[in-house]
Amino acid sequence: MPAMSSVLANKSTRVILIAVVAIALVVAPLILPAFTNQTLVRIGVYAVAVLGLNIVMGYTGQVNLGQIFFVGLGAYVTAYGVNHDWNIILVFVAACVVPGLVGLLVALAAARLGGLAIAMVTIALPIVGVPLAKRLDEFTGGSQGTSARFTDAPDWSGLYNDQWQFYIVLLVTAAAFLLGRSLVRGKYGRAFGVVRENEAVAASMGISPYRTKVLAFTVASIFGGASGFLYLAAVQYTSPETLSFGHSISLVAAMVIGGAGSIAGALIGGAYYVFVPQLTNAIDPNLTTISQGAILLVVLFLLPQGLVSLPRVVRRLFRRRTSRSSLPGNPPQNSPVHQPATDAAREGLEKTERQDRS
Amino acid sequence: MAASLSLKGVDLHFGGVKVLQDVTFDVEPGVIFGLVGPNGAGKTSLFNCISGHYKPNSGSITISGTEVLGSAPYRLARLGLARTFQQPALQLHATVLENVLLGGHIRLPGWPVSWALRLPYTARAERGIRAEALELLNRAGLGWAAGLPAGELSHGLHKGVELWRALLSKPALLLLDEPAAGLSHGEVEQFIKTVRRIRAEQDITIIIVEHHMGLISALTDRVVVLDHGRKLMEGTAAEAQSDARVIEAYIGKDAADDAA
Repeated sequence: MPAMSSVLANKSTRVILIAVVAIALVVAPLILPAFTNQTLVRIGVYAVAVLGLNIVMGYTGQVNLGQIFFVGLGAYVTAYGVNHDWNIILVFVAACVVPGLVGLLVALAAARLGGLAIAMVTIALPIVGVPLAKRLDEFTGGSQGTSARFTDAPDWSGLYNDQWQFYIVLLVTAAAFLLGRSLVRGKYGRAFGVVRENEAVAASMGISPYRTKVLAFTVASIFGGASGFLYLAAVQYTSPETLSFGHSISLVAAMVIGGAGSIAGALIGGAYYVFVPQLTNAIDPNLTTISQGAILLVVLFLLPQGLVSLPRVVRRLFRRRTSRSSLPGNPPQNSPVHQPATDAAREGLEKTERQDRS
Repeated sequence: MAASLSLKGVDLHFGGVKVLQDVTFDVEPGVIFGLVGPNGAGKTSLFNCISGHYKPNSGSITISGTEVLGSAPYRLARLGLARTFQQPALQLHATVLENVLLGGHIRLPGWPVSWALRLPYTARAERGIRAEALELLNRAGLGWAAGLPAGELSHGLHKGVELWRALLSKPALLLLDEPAAGLSHGEVEQFIKTVRRIRAEQDITIIIVEHHMGLISALTDRVVVLDHGRKLMEGTAAEAQSDARVIEAYIGKDAADDAA
């Protein structure tokens, strides 16, 4: 059966691909220059934040403009824990649990409101968060911020600091992406999707829209907190500026540009968040905002589903061109019921594309 | 196990508009029950009361003896209630299989954490429900569409996908809201065969809201006729069609006199 063998080939190439990427990621920091390592680390940091945002906004359709608040909270909890000599595992757990609990409380109230009211509540988070961080200087160090060094490479490892940090961030980011990917597939992923599209249908399937929104929001906050932990691991310093509202909007832009409702899109979004300011700064430091806006518009105009859809769009363009030159008439039509599923599926897709074109 | 349904004195007002007044009837387990009446009679409103989407102002609705008045709709799925919608409400970008799988939600075990960790029992449950959904689609002759985005199918097939989505939850009480609306003659015939097969194979109670009298006559054991939010009569479909009050409600008093 041709369909079966192509599936198997697909699976084995996938396994090989994953193995190659994993080995490359483990070896990379040892040979790359320190600056590249630091850039990759920052991509990991923001990819985790964008992943959380994608779960609540891309998958569940609830506008969340306050994700940076949970990143900042995670960073402050990490700094507090490190400066009070907590065990590093305990620090990490606290950096996830505290933002998670705060997110749960906010969501319990906000998810009762419909539609854009949730967006308004989430806007308030960074707006309240910044003065709060300045005021509570016992915990946060006030306007000067607070620093915490806990990711210097230990002597036994023989690594440089940037390499050690790379491995910490790699470990947490990989774990976060595997967990996020499993969550959005299967039972809860389908629940997120139907709550986004139609709450009445969700309810008739036995899915509580309210609980599902609270779940998605809480998961996003936990990932935000983990991202804050990684932020402090990489930057070793945090201040009220970390959780300013502008960064929150940039996270949303990165999520949409990477690809809303896509796990790979979150990784691309993290890369976008890190690279695009570097790129626009290199072009002209006076025009960073406007050139970032231009990039945003161009990407969304050409790829409304985000950069993650680029291969799909290219493939479709390519197939359209070849089918135009090689298909003079309609192929003979068989009864679709008796065809194997994959062939019928392919034919169905091509059929609609042909209709689109005419 | 097929469920019974009992309505007692159900009233529903929207402001000053009385949509339903004192509606009372019982549905025995295992029957196919029709809810008919002219446009605006309150059929779909009554349906939405049963499925929990509307809250009646007074009265009592029990499913297999459990009072459901005022329960959130998502809780009713756990009592074995499933429904379809007048306008098929599918996720058009998702595949047909993913749409049908939604119906399996309440049958899947586990907490979000166990699904995020992909514990073996959740993976096993997911494989099982996928196999079952595919089996349903294959038996309905829709296996070829499983991998297609639902948006690429016709209106008639959307209605079919909605039905299989509802059935994947293994309901004890199935509500079908105008299943024949927008279907061609052949599709209605097909639908009648499908519902007969479902009833023959499963222990299930089915309630159908419908205008299509052919479908009502072919399928239902019993019907209730609603007019202006009140119960006009109850009986078999044949009795309803020959009842003078029903004819009057559908075509008006003068026309009914002319016809007689």
